[in-house]
Amino acid sequence: MTSTTISRRARWGVPAIAAAAVIGGFAAQSLLSAANADELPETTVAELVTHVMAADPQPLSGTVVYTADLGLPSLADLGLPNGLDAIAPARPTDLLAGTSTMRVWTDAADRSRITLQSATSEFSVVSNATEAWTYSSVDQAVKHYTVDDPARLADLSKQAPAPTDLPTPGGAALTVLAQVGQSSTLSLDPQTTVAGRSAYQLVLTPKSTTTLVGRITVAIDGKTWNPLKVTVWPRSDTQNPAIELGFTDVTYATPSDQVLTWSTPAGAHVEEVVVPLPTNDQLTSAAPTITTTGTGWDQVATVTGLPLDGLLGITDPTDSSGKPDTHVPDLARDYALPSDDVPQIAQSLLDALSTPVDGGRLVTSSLLSVLVMDDGRVLVGAVPGDVLIAAAR
Amino acid sequence: MSHTDSAETVRTAGAGAERWAPRRGATGRLLAAELRLVLGRRRNQVFVAGLGLVPVLLGVMLYLTRDDPSASEGSPLLLAQATQNGVFLVVASLFMCLPFLLPLTVALACGDAVAGEASAGTLRYLLVLPVGRTKVLVTKAVAALVFVEVAVAVVAVMGLVAGAVLFGLHDVVLLSGTTVPLAEGMARVLGVVVYVGVSLTGLVVVGLFVSTLTEVPVAAMVATVVVSVVSTILDSLPALSAIHPYLLTHYWYGFGEFLRLEVGWGVISSGLALQVAWIVVFGTLAWARFTSADISS
Repeated sequence: MTSTTISRRARWGVPAIAAAAVIGGFAAQSLLSAANADELPETTVAELVTHVMAADPQPLSGTVVYTADLGLPSLADLGLPNGLDAIAPARPTDLLAGTSTMRVWTDAADRSRITLQSATSEFSVVSNATEAWTYSSVDQAVKHYTVDDPARLADLSKQAPAPTDLPTPGGAALTVLAQVGQSSTLSLDPQTTVAGRSAYQLVLTPKSTTTLVGRITVAIDGKTWNPLKVTVWPRSDTQNPAIELGFTDVTYATPSDQVLTWSTPAGAHVEEVVVPLPTNDQLTSAAPTITTTGTGWDQVATVTGLPLDGLLGITDPTDSSGKPDTHVPDLARDYALPSDDVPQIAQSLLDALSTPVDGGRLVTSSLLSVLVMDDGRVLVGAVPGDVLIAAAR
Repeated sequence: MSHTDSAETVRTAGAGAERWAPRRGATGRLLAAELRLVLGRRRNQVFVAGLGLVPVLLGVMLYLTRDDPSASEGSPLLLAQATQNGVFLVVASLFMCLPFLLPLTVALACGDAVAGEASAGTLRYLLVLPVGRTKVLVTKAVAALVFVEVAVAVVAVMGLVAGAVLFGLHDVVLLSGTTVPLAEGMARVLGVVVYVGVSLTGLVVVGLFVSTLTEVPVAAMVATVVVSVVSTILDSLPALSAIHPYLLTHYWYGFGEFLRLEVGWGVISSGLALQVAWIVVFGTLAWARFTSADISS
């Protein structure tokens, strides 16, 4: 029997060995997942970009982890309720800061489901070609989005792909690559492993020295050319990325119909939202007018005529039955605040996030600056605040 | 209650296998005696009965306030779901008990297991039995775990009964809004119950280790609860995110994965692996302490 053959002192060696084995086990697990990946053939920047642009969208399902560290004050600092992770409900505003986990499913055509997860709740967005549903498990509220003219939407969507409500690595990578020709240097980092897949790493470095963006890396699946991870570093901090958006697991297969179709659960509160399509006239002269100054990464967008109050949730929404709606997932509503406090909260949120400058208020983060002028203009750019203030003059 | 009946005589001489059989019987008797001790203790019974009232009280509270949307507004506790489907009362009850009451259950069982016997002066008599200390320790761990699992099962069953009576059992709406048949929903909720039960195993072993360190049962109980509470607090501090995946309680709330459209087996297997890690480390620590300590009381 061991208890009689091992000396008393030596017995304490057993937990030490056990602890070492456990630590070794965890370490080996992460090493193994990295070693599993195959070595990819050498490639060049030009080949890689061509492959990515030419690749068909892949039907896939996977888990996406999004981490934002934009240097904005945390929600706790703003005095908003932000309890334990396990108890906090999944809210779209979580994407402003911290780490969020999402599950995505897409058939690569027009059906998809994206779910923002917390430990015990979910916020889902299910969409097909002409309709979309959002569902919050916290209050079981369904929003059903339809357009007033589906036929015309099909025409329009042929011209431009519809943006999704939540960010995906694929969409983000395309946005990044669209910037390529203008003002960036492209290079390759050593091959890496993302979600257990061997991946090339494309690096974009802005040529401009004004912009807040220091470097962007895009990890690209070496077999399917699907972007797996996008990482954005600010110029101010080369160690910690400001945004990381990447798969932690991915499966290339068409998801089942059960996943991609929506069926409203019994007892859920459904709000119908009909989105009026803009007429062709409106498309050419949209109500908020956007003008840009500067080029490439130094570009500053100036928006005028923006309904700021509506943007901040200072509206009095009513649902189709005319009753005051209690299920609007806007910024203030998500924190379960009484609606009377909403304008006040929105104002204090703006106050806390921004600093007063001559003629307006400035919101700065590590990647983006926003200047809200008292005259109604909003200036946005990936540049320091001074540049926006200068542009506003 | 005593352990004196666990000494066993060899009835039949013969093949080696037969000679081992009585020893297994001795282990069985030791375990049976330990289980009678833990489950038969009046204060443990009262505690489990009280725990069984939690789902009933929660259900009645939800039943009375079900027409008042502000009562459950913004609450992620699956309470809103519970008012529409009694099945969810099981999950909501476990959710309510997980932060404090279930760790307290673990503490109650573990504090008594070794420290309690030491304080009562019965531990040295137990060790006089012709059974190795390792076997005594394992028996105590199993008995404490059985008590904890009984407590979890009582909460789950009472939750199901109260939920069925108050709200009825219907097809289950998952967190993603998808409706699955009642049978599949029940299987998923069973997964939640089993996961919660298994998630407490690590704390049982930690509690047992603490129990071997002291002769004051209350100290062991308090320390066990403190371990779980401190772990939860550390888990909520963003600055410590590097150590979060290794905290004992980090995956406790992973039971929600069973209620997603596609069960998140990744999180669940991480949670189970973490429990195994804590069990291995603190199990061997408890073994080293218990088999090497001078036990005089």
